[in-house]
Amino acid sequence: MSQPIIDVQKLTATYGPVTALNGVNLTVNKGEIFGLLGPNGAGKSTLLACVEGLHNPKNGSVHVNGVDVQADSASTKSQLGIQLQKTALLDDLTVAELVEVYAALYEVYLNSEQIDALLTRFDLLEKRNTLSRRLSGGQQQRLALAVAIANDPQIVLLDEPTSALDPHARRAVWDMIRELHNEGRTIVLTTHAMEEAEALCGRIAIIDRGQVVSCDTPAALISSLKLNAMLKATVELPLEQVRTLPDVNNARYTGQHLEVETARPEVTLTALHELAARSGRSISDVMLRQPNLEDVFLKLTGHALAESNPSA
Amino acid sequence: MKRFLILTKAMTLMQLRNGYVLFWNFAFPVLLMVIYGAVMSQYMDYMTPGVIVLNALSFGLVSSSTMMLEMREKSVLRRLQATPLPARQLIGSYLLVNVIIGVLQSTLIILAGVLLYDVPVTGTSLLLSYPMILAGLLAFMALGGIISGMTAKAGAATAVGMTIYFLLMFISDMVFPLDMLPEWLRNVVAYLPAYPVVQLVRSALLEATLDPKWLTHLFLLAVYGFGATFIAAKLFRWEPKA
Repeated sequence: MSQPIIDVQKLTATYGPVTALNGVNLTVNKGEIFGLLGPNGAGKSTLLACVEGLHNPKNGSVHVNGVDVQADSASTKSQLGIQLQKTALLDDLTVAELVEVYAALYEVYLNSEQIDALLTRFDLLEKRNTLSRRLSGGQQQRLALAVAIANDPQIVLLDEPTSALDPHARRAVWDMIRELHNEGRTIVLTTHAMEEAEALCGRIAIIDRGQVVSCDTPAALISSLKLNAMLKATVELPLEQVRTLPDVNNARYTGQHLEVETARPEVTLTALHELAARSGRSISDVMLRQPNLEDVFLKLTGHALAESNPSA
Repeated sequence: MKRFLILTKAMTLMQLRNGYVLFWNFAFPVLLMVIYGAVMSQYMDYMTPGVIVLNALSFGLVSSSTMMLEMREKSVLRRLQATPLPARQLIGSYLLVNVIIGVLQSTLIILAGVLLYDVPVTGTSLLLSYPMILAGLLAFMALGGIISGMTAKAGAATAVGMTIYFLLMFISDMVFPLDMLPEWLRNVVAYLPAYPVVQLVRSALLEATLDPKWLTHLFLLAVYGFGATFIAAKLFRWEPKA
């Protein structure tokens, strides 16, 4: 077992009368990409804010590298690289100036070669003398990442690093996050996009209504709940016969499409073909959807990931 | 120290690249002198210190807080709060840049007075005037700090600041002589923050002497300055009001 680099214990945080986090326990291990997955308003950003020393919890503790954030936030802040949800950086500065200033705020002083090397990495060298507010959304997000690691932190906290990006820009940011991870940095990111959590994270904490509902690797989360795969096909067969096929847990029609929930899709599919052949029907448009984190989330919380937390 | 210098340089660049800041802080005060000169050229000796103080007042109450308020609204302050930068360094750097801008504005107004209207200014009068201008600027900026701490948005802060500015401008012996006011108001005005600055700057700039009541004026200004700084520090917020 690797040592926890972030240790959150019994964390409760409130904004006035609203409880944003309620008794959260969480450990992040050194060198992993850890995802906080949950809908808007679940408490993900508040959790990060407590680690970042931006929000004082009502109860509980957060330790970064063994240091209590509340007792010595200056020391813990200096170990973190941070990208907030709103990437508001100092206006009216050029890309290169911004990187220089933010590194300096951590008392890290970069020369222009070092700044250029950092900008090259994030594909921003051509924009080095452009004012940051003139950058595109994707460029600003990459700049936010460059600024986040300007102080060469071992722990990088990214709040919704790809929200509002088009798929191409999103993948570019994913690659950059993987690269940071390959350098041995620990990454904690929040997302409400299931595919992002699956694509990037070694472990995921599912957060809903201020609580960690479950925490494990994506594969373990999916397999532990013994969720059904969904088999879809265009075929006309009596539902009662389909439901008697091996490993089928449920079946229904949506329009022309037969939807079959099954624990073992390969077995069910073979049986379905046999049934269709016996009945003289043809099967077309067969699709298989394996259970994913979206299903895990739905099963654990009773509502879909896309729904916002009503109490937020 | 290096961190402070890099941050201060960045803040200076941000101010200089903002056309709005450049116009209101540097072009407008000179324009004001030209307008006043066109209307009452024979009173420009009396007016120049008044314009210096009314400009310092609007700068302190309103303009000097604008960038800080915008940074707060756009979550820039929150991002800065996430760094190990101590708050006192951020505010110190911000104040330094603003004091420099405020002093530059006064210099432009004095230059306009001397070059356009032959306002009699000597080396001694300048030497005496700048500390008085600086004292006024600091007190006004601290009062502006209270306004930005109490208001939720930059727009509201500007409205409150401008209202106080206009009130003080008309009654503090800046553009209208004090004897135009009823007696009860004259007694009140003497205890308001702008009046002592006008008296201090006017006698320093035009007569190269200290106002007879300079100690009282400076004391009053110190009460305003330190009191307002204390309250502004208590009210300082990294985030906009919820």
